[in-house]
Amino acid sequence: MTDTLLVDEDGRFAVGKASTTPQNESVGFLESAEDAAGYWDLTSQEAFEQLSVVLYSGTGMLNTLLSRTGRRVGLIVTRGMEDAILMGRGLQAWTDYSYPDRLHAVTHQAPEPLVPRHRIYGVTERIDQFGNVVAPVYEHEAEKAAEELVAQGVEAICVCCMFSYVDDTHERQITEIVQNVLNKRDVEVPIYRSSSVRPVIREQSRLNSVVIEAYAADVSREQLVGVEEATQSQGFRYGVQTVLSYGGLAGIRYPRLHETMISGPVGGILGAKYVGDIIGSDSVIVSDMGGTSFDISAITRGNIPIENEPTLARFKLNLPTISMESIGAGAGTIIKVDPLTKKVSLGPESAGSTPGPVAFDMGGTEPTVCDCDVIMGRLNPDYFLGGKVKLNVEAAKSVFKEKVADPLGVDVYEAAEGMANMLEMDAKESMRQMISARAVDPADYALMAYGGSGPLHMAEYSRGMGFKNILTFPFAAAFSAFGCTTADYLRRYSRSVQLTLPPNADAEHRNSVAEEINRIWEGLQEAATSEMGDEGHAPADVQLEMFAQMRYTGQLEDVEVPLAMQRITADSDLDLVIKEFDELYAAINGAVAQYREAGHSITELGIVAKVEKIKPKLVRETLQGETPLAEAFKGTRSMYYNREWHEAQLWEMDYLKPGNVVAGPAVVEHPATTLVIPAGDRVWVDEWTIVHYEHAEDSSESE
Amino acid sequence: MTATPITEPQSVTTLHERLLESERLLKETDSYAGLENLELRAADPLKYESMHTKLRSMVVSAREMARRISASPGVREVGESVVAIYTPEGDAIALSTGIMVHVHTASRFIKWMIQNGYEESPGIRPGDIFANNDAFIGTVQAPDVIITIPIFHEDELIGWVAAVAHELEVGGITPGGDVALSQERYTEGLMVCAEKVGYDDELRRDYLIRLERNLRMPIYWVLDDKAKVAACLEVRKQVRELIDEVGLDYYKRATKEFIEEGRRAQLARVRQLTVPGRYRGHTFFGHVTEGKQGVLPQGNRNWLYAIPMEMEVTRQGKLSLDFDGTNSWGYHSMNCTPAGMDGGMFVTLTQHMNFDGKVNDGAWLATDMNLPLGTWTNPDKETVATATSWALLLPAFGCFQRMLSRGFLGRGYKEEVFVGQVNSPMMEMGGESQYGGDFGIALFECAAAGSGALGIKDGLDTAYVGWNPESDMGNMEIWEQDMPMVYLGRTISPNSGGFGRYRGGSGFESLWAVTNTELLIPATSEHSSRVFDNAGMCGGYPAPTVQLHHSVKDAGIEQRAAERKPLPHSIGDNPYESDIERLTDGQTKIDEGPYLAEPLQSGDLFAHSYNGGGGYGDPLERDAGSIARDVANGYVTADAAENVYGVVVESNDNTSTVNAEATQSRRRNIHDERLANALPVSEWIEQTRSRVADGDFAPEVREMYRDSMELSPRFAGEFRNFWSLPSDYEIAKRSRR
Repeated sequence: MTDTLLVDEDGRFAVGKASTTPQNESVGFLESAEDAAGYWDLTSQEAFEQLSVVLYSGTGMLNTLLSRTGRRVGLIVTRGMEDAILMGRGLQAWTDYSYPDRLHAVTHQAPEPLVPRHRIYGVTERIDQFGNVVAPVYEHEAEKAAEELVAQGVEAICVCCMFSYVDDTHERQITEIVQNVLNKRDVEVPIYRSSSVRPVIREQSRLNSVVIEAYAADVSREQLVGVEEATQSQGFRYGVQTVLSYGGLAGIRYPRLHETMISGPVGGILGAKYVGDIIGSDSVIVSDMGGTSFDISAITRGNIPIENEPTLARFKLNLPTISMESIGAGAGTIIKVDPLTKKVSLGPESAGSTPGPVAFDMGGTEPTVCDCDVIMGRLNPDYFLGGKVKLNVEAAKSVFKEKVADPLGVDVYEAAEGMANMLEMDAKESMRQMISARAVDPADYALMAYGGSGPLHMAEYSRGMGFKNILTFPFAAAFSAFGCTTADYLRRYSRSVQLTLPPNADAEHRNSVAEEINRIWEGLQEAATSEMGDEGHAPADVQLEMFAQMRYTGQLEDVEVPLAMQRITADSDLDLVIKEFDELYAAINGAVAQYREAGHSITELGIVAKVEKIKPKLVRETLQGETPLAEAFKGTRSMYYNREWHEAQLWEMDYLKPGNVVAGPAVVEHPATTLVIPAGDRVWVDEWTIVHYEHAEDSSESE
Repeated sequence: MTATPITEPQSVTTLHERLLESERLLKETDSYAGLENLELRAADPLKYESMHTKLRSMVVSAREMARRISASPGVREVGESVVAIYTPEGDAIALSTGIMVHVHTASRFIKWMIQNGYEESPGIRPGDIFANNDAFIGTVQAPDVIITIPIFHEDELIGWVAAVAHELEVGGITPGGDVALSQERYTEGLMVCAEKVGYDDELRRDYLIRLERNLRMPIYWVLDDKAKVAACLEVRKQVRELIDEVGLDYYKRATKEFIEEGRRAQLARVRQLTVPGRYRGHTFFGHVTEGKQGVLPQGNRNWLYAIPMEMEVTRQGKLSLDFDGTNSWGYHSMNCTPAGMDGGMFVTLTQHMNFDGKVNDGAWLATDMNLPLGTWTNPDKETVATATSWALLLPAFGCFQRMLSRGFLGRGYKEEVFVGQVNSPMMEMGGESQYGGDFGIALFECAAAGSGALGIKDGLDTAYVGWNPESDMGNMEIWEQDMPMVYLGRTISPNSGGFGRYRGGSGFESLWAVTNTELLIPATSEHSSRVFDNAGMCGGYPAPTVQLHHSVKDAGIEQRAAERKPLPHSIGDNPYESDIERLTDGQTKIDEGPYLAEPLQSGDLFAHSYNGGGGYGDPLERDAGSIARDVANGYVTADAAENVYGVVVESNDNTSTVNAEATQSRRRNIHDERLANALPVSEWIEQTRSRVADGDFAPEVREMYRDSMELSPRFAGEFRNFWSLPSDYEIAKRSRR
């Protein structure tokens, strides 16, 4: 489906839906936009004429990659690394696997390569880690490679040389030779250099980045242009934006589109940051429980965590990405009981939306967590997706009994709750690990629970964690999309460096380091202002924040240190940089892991360039009484909780007003989400219409 | 519910007494801690599972934390580490992923301290940190440095947490971790023998100074130790929180139940997946070191090891391995200790049947090994070197995988059949770094060899080693940060996967130009020579693991490059003249076995190869289209396609196609040739018997059989019986003088 979230300046929104049209995504997009506009009695034209920003994020690129239907890419690499694509990183054979499959070696399998071996050519050349030329570019080999790639009818050519992040001269030289051949043959084929796509260390990741850009990302630009044209034909006055994996917005002509390919979790984090700023909480754990996974991330003291080596479709990349941890546990997760050991496991398989859980009656035969929720009366069988899907309680119960409860020798309801608890416990444990990895106190964090199934299980997965407060939203199911609308125009620019600061460095050395830092930052600054300028942002509007990736000399993992300074103006600034690193490092890894005797190294320097964008404003309303409106009350239903049946009060989410309080046992229903409140717990709605969850004081731990 | 406390007699107060009591209970009841029932599991299976999940997630995330801190590409890039939680007696409860070799090694280390009076001296107190890399106490080899800390609840020691990382430099006679040239422990490098290396949660500064002054590249070990301590402290903190949550009695009882459950699960898995009975396998390992530079007189010879193995599976599911008939330990670095043998067994078992997360010492209790004293598996002298024990472990446990696979096959689990692991020779080096100072490193890209084939598909290419299923080779740009060499190529080795209906995974080879140094000392290890150290299955061929080193002094790369002359990037696929010989100016030197030869310097070249795995099924049955793809991708040469697989592949204009007609006829020819060359086994025995009776063996073969017969009466009897030799048949001992 293509969802359109239409947001007005007061933060009110409407959600439109239409079938996705993969051949021409703009068709489905316009249809769903029209559907959304319809909720406000607007025509699509009327809506687009008034819009200031249109964000579009499609799954086209990812699908292209997953289905291996991308371009015919030709590749030129440093001679001697032609097998790098076939070999891949060894870890790509098992990365993203579950714990058992990581160990169970017969399950390992490398991803299917994107470029066949016969379209890969080596060109003799070599630059070492210091930028010294070991072998110059063999021009005749580059020319021959280009000729042969042309003869093979390639649609894109990538160039990736060893250490091109240190010195890109050879990549440029090869590119120039290839371009000349293309000109001579009168062929138009785009050329991608690894040093311009991702100029950072690790050739395998850089190679994957540049190949994916050429293979799947850039080729999808047409679709984005189609969407932009469609919006403009409807009267939209600006350019369409897309979302980068690290949370910024970029125009659709942005040269590194593969940076938009892991944008799924971005929205939630941005939304959380935005809401966190409003409610005065700079540390937030976000938790998004959907059908197939539970995704979590943590904003710590305003910092959004960045993962520099994520995997995308099992390819290791060098792409800064908002770090989200994901466990394969959602409402659609299939529950299995090992016939031999009786060990219960959740997933990683998921029933997905087709055939879906047993209760959907669409052919699903394996019990899922969703079926447990149905069996326990937590989900309303007649109001799932607003009643569009009728849930078959009996079918769920009988399959669950046969496949789970009976083998375990436990009562069906008890088993159902046990499974839901296992999911909640997995979720809780993953949050606990995340908090522990940051060595901070959960009491500093607000928890935000969203996603279609977040509110359904939040009571237990947040219980006893000691969060400062626990929040969810009436629009929990659309929170990620909402979050995207709060993004700014933001880019990260960075460059790998090798700068060392030994403990006893002399003034001359320190001075040279400072100069180098300033030189790199200035270069990045120019690139940033120029690229942002190309998209129509005035230089004065561009805010810059510097960062350095640092480590103790000899280590292999960096800590990204955000820096308040714009340049190094005095020697003491270097000490400040080191101090910032030492403190951050100790917070993450423990003081015992510090090794100042080894000295410090800076491996990457970067800047984050930002231009603020107009954002929806959440509306602040005056608080009303604790008792919800009568029309919000929907009756009662039996709900199984804590191993007994309760008569739960049912409420309609959209009718709850600021100030209202709902005490458990209760279920607050919404067409797209369900909030479950067990006896003893309660929720209240604040002036921003954010729902605050409060556990009973004496129930800090279940049982 | 409340847990039934595990009753311990009043007399049991010290750890040592608890250990003895635990051993007594196991012996008398045949179950761990005398547990008859898994009460907690029965009462509330979900709460019980949830606690296990928590423990596992603690160790998994602590290992990730350690990875962030480490300076060693071994830990950071290729994951050579593991974190685990133990009972007070030192039995493993839960482990992270990683080098699963260490399921029981840290356990031996903890037990050793308890057995050796550590409670009294040096004392075991809250905040203490202990370290060990002595294989006879409990680890596999000197680079496997284990850190452990006790976990106290109030005044009571309620468990241990341990972390292991494989260090890339240990300060031995040759640089690196798997010290190729060590022949006794005195040359294996820095030894830390179950030593208290820290207190109050801090490593002692004087211990760190010892590391800083005795290692070529101290930063690896120092930061890895810090990483391990940080990981252990983190787990300790979380275990305490868990105990606050579930209660101490519940924790104690549940952890014991986990182990007993692990034991039962191991038995159940064996019953499920294999057929009871006795399985036999045999593998060999040749080690060519005679006359090599630096080899001390007592070990100055070539070694040939026979590794006959017998696996017994009982109806109850108990699995035992017997190494009776294998050879003596020797003055080389390939010996192993029982701890190392445990390691080999466990890393293998976890990959085949204990992968569901409850792998712990329970599985160890459900298995057994006969390691005859005095053999390489169990030296009767604790000063022998074990630095490269993987040289013999990998062939042995590859053989174990094939025996297990026969069981899987017999039971119908064809998809579990795995020809398994091979040796992946290690490249290590030291000398003067590109930054000017001393350095030493184990280049761990060997952690991504080819795997053996599976029963249903080809083996993994360049993505598997037996000792760590999370295999990887890392980035060349990262390795070059740590050594004065630049890669001229990293290339798939053609024909390195054993031929078969399903091909063994391919290995790769690296070729480097030495730069920015006046002194580079390479030392390589774990090379098999002259014999196959692995095998195929069901008609598949073994992988050709006899790798040779190519080195060139003054290769003239700079000059050739300036003139745009072709440079070598791999050994190439011409068996008669390598690319290295063809495309360099200097003299190419080819070394068999470990490279223990002249140092190199800027301007020289060096090449090293990793292994592929064995094949499965008859190569003549391999799908011809797959061969065309293999040829196109460089996994198999056109020559091998035609002569081994009988598939005629025609390559032109970037396409490789099968000539169906020629293939059919070639395959028929091969089939006919096989028939023509075949003879009944009885005839072959008859023909060969006289050679055996006359003692007409190569010297190494002769010594191998003599030694096996001397050590094992059973082997001697079976040998005589097989060859119909008289009962007084003996092979005389050769004089060492």
